[in-house]
Amino acid sequence: MAQQKVEIDIQDKGDYKVLVPVGDLDVYTVGSLRDALGKMIEDKTPSVVVDLDGVPFMDSSGLGALMGGVRRLREAGGDLAIACTREQHLKLFTITGFGEGVSIAPTVEEAAKGFRE
Amino acid sequence: MAVKLSLRWKIVGGFGLLLVLIGLLGYVTLSLFSSLRQVQRRVFNDAVPGVVAVDEIVRSYTAQSAAVRGFLLLPSDPLLEQYLAEVSNVEDVVEESRSLFTSSLELELLDDLTQAGEDFQTSVEQDVVPLAEEGKRSLAQATFSQEGAPLILQIERLGRELRNLQREVVLRAEDDLQTRSNQARITLVAVIIGALGVGLLLTILLPRRLSSSLSELVEAARAIGRGDFDQKIDIRSGDEVEELGHRFTEMQGALKRLQQLALQDRELEIAGAIQRNLQQRTMPNTATVRLVPIQRQANLVGGDWYDVDVDHSSVTVAVGDASGKGIAAALMATVALSVLRAERGQGASARRIIERANEALKEATEPESFTTLIYATIDLATGQAGWLNMGHPSPFMLTSNDKDERTDGRPQGYFLEGPRNRALGWFDDPGMAETTIQLGPGDRLILYTDGFLEAKSPDGAIFGENRFAEALIRLAPLDSNELGEELVRDVEHFAAGKLDDDLTMLVIEFQGARLTQETTEGGNPEVRAAKTEN
Repeated sequence: MAQQKVEIDIQDKGDYKVLVPVGDLDVYTVGSLRDALGKMIEDKTPSVVVDLDGVPFMDSSGLGALMGGVRRLREAGGDLAIACTREQHLKLFTITGFGEGVSIAPTVEEAAKGFRE
Repeated sequence: MAVKLSLRWKIVGGFGLLLVLIGLLGYVTLSLFSSLRQVQRRVFNDAVPGVVAVDEIVRSYTAQSAAVRGFLLLPSDPLLEQYLAEVSNVEDVVEESRSLFTSSLELELLDDLTQAGEDFQTSVEQDVVPLAEEGKRSLAQATFSQEGAPLILQIERLGRELRNLQREVVLRAEDDLQTRSNQARITLVAVIIGALGVGLLLTILLPRRLSSSLSELVEAARAIGRGDFDQKIDIRSGDEVEELGHRFTEMQGALKRLQQLALQDRELEIAGAIQRNLQQRTMPNTATVRLVPIQRQANLVGGDWYDVDVDHSSVTVAVGDASGKGIAAALMATVALSVLRAERGQGASARRIIERANEALKEATEPESFTTLIYATIDLATGQAGWLNMGHPSPFMLTSNDKDERTDGRPQGYFLEGPRNRALGWFDDPGMAETTIQLGPGDRLILYTDGFLEAKSPDGAIFGENRFAEALIRLAPLDSNELGEELVRDVEHFAAGKLDDDLTMLVIEFQGARLTQETTEGGNPEVRAAKTEN
């Protein structure tokens, strides 16, 4: 069983952090994203934009990690927004309905504007 | 950087060094003996015989002088003979001892001494003795006192000087011997310390280090026996044992991975068993609706499920997909199915069933988990189908004839995009918009899971909706069973046999009569034909 890796780059934008996963987000790699989001909560920086432009493939595990992140970050007083231009992922958000109620925009800055107050 | 030396070279090096030290020890001892012999030779063969010779020469001249004095007091032949005997003796001694003196100063002194002796003898033999024999004894005595006696004093003085020189030779030899023995002692001490050090290394430190390294490995091996693969091995001996330590660490990692894989396999086995137990083993038969399920379980167990129920007037069908993989996904499928069956058994409506399933999934599972599903009901008599799409991929329609007005007579396959709702297990209110459609005779409504769409080729391409639609249209002439199997084969081929997600499909084939009038009570689906380009 191949254990692929996803690299997660973290950028600090002052008010919020940007997580940039590079690689597929699937059952093999989703643990890294979950851990990175958990660390944001531990570090008391619960406002996060996840930039999906470096993610060519995302399955329901990846989507689940993002939605779990939304719930946990909101409980911690922050929010999770998504920067994404990839048709395939946008479609997944539409089909499952997760696109509603979560800020999704083409750029990180626009996505961050949609953080819940 | 630590010097890398193999164990063999450490031992060979240690013993080699020991041998070199022993050789050095032998050399130093031998050279000490040889210098001792040289000193011995200088003292006993040259210096001491030299002193003896000088003493004998001086004694002989003094004896000559005494014999002459005696002769002058009382002339007699024996005294003269004694004198002559001493003269002969002194010549012999001088001749014999010349080789004992080597330095120019010694030879010069010896020459002076013999010269004084010869002068003394000349004075005695040519002046003193003839005067005495002529009876001029007083004159002879005066001459002897005047010429001979000072020469004897000179001889004695030269003899002392020559003897002193020999003593100096002995003293120098002594000093030399002292210096050499000191050097030898220092060398000996160094050699002994070195040999002790090497010996210590070879007999104590090397075995101890070896044994402590091996103990570490033994301890790690015992830990593996207990199932602990995390024992850290830190051996830095720079030799084969360190290499062994590295290999051991690699082995620990491999064993750990193997164990994880075994656990994972076990987990997947359990998940697979759970999921298989959820499947319906027989499909209900109805006069108008044929149901054909097709399922391939992925290695990872994707949490797909389906459920079919028939009552007197309708057939109810659900196809669901729990997010994630493995036991968690299989258990979520169990939760959804249990609620669904229980509520349906109590005669609950589709909306009520979905509501209850959403609540149960929200309560029972992690915020990462969600389930998508389509819950459809088909009227056995009319062929009217209605469904709730909860975040699930849109159903696909394969029509029976090539004159379908919904596709302008084009080939008979398209996605049915109706009003959609949200996935279950995450939202408080997932929505309850329903889609309805009228099935004609031979129409096939295909419900499926995203495993088909998300199948990935080795180079990362996704099977996707277009390939899915094209394949279904191409396979449309086949019987539903074959169609499903062929489609699965296509997808497996595309993914080079490596499916990460389950493939589940339910073909609902309407075999009833065509109604003259379509009934469209709910939301009418929008027809989305598959794109034909690649």
